[in-house]
Amino acid sequence: MSINVGYFVRESIQNFRRNWVMTLGAVITIYLSLLLVGVFLVTGVLVNSVVKSVEDKVTIQIFLKDGAATDDVNALQKNLLANTLVQGVEYTSKDKALEQFKEDMKQSPEIIDQLEGNPLPASLDVTLKDPRTVEEMVAAIKIDPLFTKVADRPDNPEESLKYGQQVVKKLFAFTRVIRTLEIAFVAMLAAVSLIFINNTIRLAIYARRKEIGIMRLVGASNWFIRTPFLLEGVLQSLIGATLAIISIVGLQAAIMPRLGEALPFLPVGMDTAATAQIAGVLILAGVFIGLLGSGFALRRYLKV
Amino acid sequence: MTDINDATGQQTATRVSDPTPVLPRTGPLMIAMRNVSKSYVTEKPALNDVNVEIGSGEFVFIVGHSGSGKSTFIRLLLRELTPSRGQIIVAGQDLAKMKNWKVPYLRRNIGCVFQDFKLLPNKTSFENVAFALEVIGKSKHVIRTQVPEVLRLVGLEDKIDNYPDELSGGEQQRVSIARAFVNRPPLLLCDEPTGNLDPQTSLGIMKLLERINKTGTTVLIATHDREMVDNMRRRVIALEGGRIIRDQDRGVYGYVD
Repeated sequence: MSINVGYFVRESIQNFRRNWVMTLGAVITIYLSLLLVGVFLVTGVLVNSVVKSVEDKVTIQIFLKDGAATDDVNALQKNLLANTLVQGVEYTSKDKALEQFKEDMKQSPEIIDQLEGNPLPASLDVTLKDPRTVEEMVAAIKIDPLFTKVADRPDNPEESLKYGQQVVKKLFAFTRVIRTLEIAFVAMLAAVSLIFINNTIRLAIYARRKEIGIMRLVGASNWFIRTPFLLEGVLQSLIGATLAIISIVGLQAAIMPRLGEALPFLPVGMDTAATAQIAGVLILAGVFIGLLGSGFALRRYLKV
Repeated sequence: MTDINDATGQQTATRVSDPTPVLPRTGPLMIAMRNVSKSYVTEKPALNDVNVEIGSGEFVFIVGHSGSGKSTFIRLLLRELTPSRGQIIVAGQDLAKMKNWKVPYLRRNIGCVFQDFKLLPNKTSFENVAFALEVIGKSKHVIRTQVPEVLRLVGLEDKIDNYPDELSGGEQQRVSIARAFVNRPPLLLCDEPTGNLDPQTSLGIMKLLERINKTGTTVLIATHDREMVDNMRRRVIALEGGRIIRDQDRGVYGYVD
């Protein structure tokens, strides 16, 4: 059997023209749903970048005792760098630590004035590839014999290590909640869009029930009857997705510079790759939702 | 295609006094129902142990009051319904065992005509008939040659570009017959084809159906148009309460309603 492609195209266009109010409704629904999904995705990327920058600030500081042998310190640094969890290790000398402290305390010069000599220890600052492994890394450092040798207070290793023990735990719990919420919201919006499309296709089927009845009577195959509706669902989704992408890019261009101005301390920013990714996700989600939504509607309301 | 009108004419009218009589057919069968029952939920069966044979090329009336099982009979043949019990063979295919996806291909062998015409109001006569060919994937060339031909056959060659609301009831029914017949199906089912038409127009429709029958197509007409049945003197199958109470060649309507 030869399938008449022209028939499908003509039918779809005709149907678009005939039921343009309903089609417009469907497109707007999909557009708004996908726009919300898109806004959430963008927000998600921004929150992620903030969270990541906060997470990246999680470092392990190893305080060294005054007069620790340079060889031992170098050896410890080498040991640390050999560890697969470690991103980098930086040595901060006593002088540099003092300089940093003075810089931090600029607001209260009286504290600086009270300093006698340099009470601050030198330190090794360890950054991690994945900040979540901080506890593991701390444990590894503690059992290193070189650490006990050079630590500021070898009798009390806890005091010689600083990694914001409590803060780290809370931070990670918080970021986990944010990420879960993001996923839940996106899933919810996808479900809402599915229901809307399901509804629209159901109306389209209802509007054309006479035609469908005749098609069934004269022996049109089930796929022949379904295809125009599936195409319609996908086409509506694609238009909706395109509009959503345009809006999101527009919103980004309008809002992002101001957001950067308003919150200079937060490293908010998005590269084009992330935007393109979100656009791709929206298109795919649109097509998927269109197919699934019309598929459901067809199964339930088109007993072919 | 053979003109088997003579063959049906030769068949003797056998009255069987059996409660569910079967007129035996000699030639190849178009329809065979064996012990067919159909029950809907809770109610008494719409069809009860029906046995019937309809030969290829026959012209048959199914008569009966509303609720006698006529519609169920037609819908079973179209496989819009499946029988609760029994076997239905249409054009050599066992409908009870037929897979759902094969049903469209069965329907390409069955033309259908209804009381309410079932025409699409936004399509012309040509487009309405062409629609039936388009949706089963026929080429443009086939459509361009077959549609005008069949519209000529039903006598509507000058109404080809008219919309249904520009046609009379009889003309609309002719379009719907053209649509049912354009694919040259071996079986034509008509459910009250003259139910909405005046007697004069009805006669024209019946003559048209007879002409189609003469091309070899089996024609089955469910009706309660007494005058028509009595005039035509063709085979009549009478249903009452879901049973066949009478099946005779050259029959009459026979009820007093």
